[in-house]
Amino acid sequence: MGKFGALRILIYRDLQIRYAGTWLGYLWTLLDPLAMAFIYWLVFTQIIGAKNIGEQPYILFLLTGILSWTWFNGSVTDSARSLVVESKMVRSISIPRYLWIIKSIGAKGTEFLLAFPILIIITFITQASVNLEIFWIIFAIILQFLLLSGIGLILAPLTVLARDTSNLLRILLRMMFYLTPIIYGISDIPERFQILSYFNPMTGIISMYRAGFWAEPNLITAVIFSTIISLAVFVVGVTFFKRIEKTVLKEV
Amino acid sequence: MSIVIEVNNVGISFKRNRKRNFSVRELILQQKNTSPKGEFWALRNINFKVNEGEAVGLMGANGQGKSTLLRIIAGVLIPDEGTATIQGGVAPLIELTGGLKSDLTARDNIYLVAGLHGLSKTEVKKRFNNIVEFAEVGDFLDTPVRHFSSGMKIRLGFSIVTSIDEPIILVDEALAVGDAAFKEKCYIRMKDLLNQGKTLFLVSHKEKDLKEFCTRGLYLKQGSLAVDGTLSEALNAYHQDSGVFDD
Repeated sequence: MGKFGALRILIYRDLQIRYAGTWLGYLWTLLDPLAMAFIYWLVFTQIIGAKNIGEQPYILFLLTGILSWTWFNGSVTDSARSLVVESKMVRSISIPRYLWIIKSIGAKGTEFLLAFPILIIITFITQASVNLEIFWIIFAIILQFLLLSGIGLILAPLTVLARDTSNLLRILLRMMFYLTPIIYGISDIPERFQILSYFNPMTGIISMYRAGFWAEPNLITAVIFSTIISLAVFVVGVTFFKRIEKTVLKEV
Repeated sequence: MSIVIEVNNVGISFKRNRKRNFSVRELILQQKNTSPKGEFWALRNINFKVNEGEAVGLMGANGQGKSTLLRIIAGVLIPDEGTATIQGGVAPLIELTGGLKSDLTARDNIYLVAGLHGLSKTEVKKRFNNIVEFAEVGDFLDTPVRHFSSGMKIRLGFSIVTSIDEPIILVDEALAVGDAAFKEKCYIRMKDLLNQGKTLFLVSHKEKDLKEFCTRGLYLKQGSLAVDGTLSEALNAYHQDSGVFDD
């Protein structure tokens, strides 16, 4: 059996566990981001009354960001803990170790893809217009996958060696959620800080998810930044993981 | 006869003050440790070859590196020195219940564990009834494994791993599991597998098990291979050092 076979089994297993014993099963994949989007829509447009935040329709704008963030957040959290959570299997089954990280990202990625119907439905409901730049989404998915793999390959070994990596991570992820243009757009950031936000690879990735719906002012700049940074993170992750794998196996 | 396991000058070291959980504070501040620093070699300069169809027993007192060596052969630990080359797949009877996922049913777990050990879906289907029958879990196929007793879990794990049909079987003490009746079944299955020409590598304290199955003995002492010979040679050396003749 190839590595791909093992990966497929592990991803399938993660999804099975996710839905085992739930009544609504797959619907949770749709309800989760919808509920998040609804609450931000309520707070920002109805309570605070910010009319100029993001783009219109705001609920669609929110969803494009929240869906990809949900994938990011879930993958970083799960892949960082993957070697610890699966320690018994890591200690007894000889498959390439990086698969434990990739499967976490793949499982969350599958849920992300399974949630796409909401985007389509909301696009129809709000009668938003879509142009050909929607195909940026494909590149966004590939890039986000590489970025997540790099991050996971760095964090999973660190979590084995220092368990409180996951505590730190929880705080960092919460901060990053607000520092990433998810509930607002790049153009809402004061101009002198915009360049800083490009150093966050998720900025460019979310811009690509949105490109088919709204004209993103500096799309190409954002894409270049996030491509370079994501690839760099991936290369660092692969190198680091190779180097530390031996040590980690002794501690798992 | 072809060589299926070749261990070449293998060494592995561990940190002496091996604490399971570091905290970030310690990593950053590099606090002084009271325990002795440095590394120790759990195994060093280990050399041996195992031919196809051999039944090898690995013995040694606790903490002499038996399980570590087994894990290196199973490919779940990477040695710091030397190489361990394995021809063909291994069926590792290590942490038998570790592969089972408690939220999934017995049926799903069979497909999961057998699949991860390399069986395709059709191959699992073919063996499915055998696995279930051997593990005696036929009435609980669609029950989540978390409701299983520890005995049922270990029977299921044993049954799956011994069904995957790999040429090399690695066993960490768990040659026979469960109650007396099930243990008997395990022995019979092991004999069957040996008769099919499979290679057995068994880590055990139990003289009875070693004598029952193995013809060759390896004796590990303080991280090096003290004896590589017939089973009785290895057992004699082991007993002489421990001063105990058990079983």
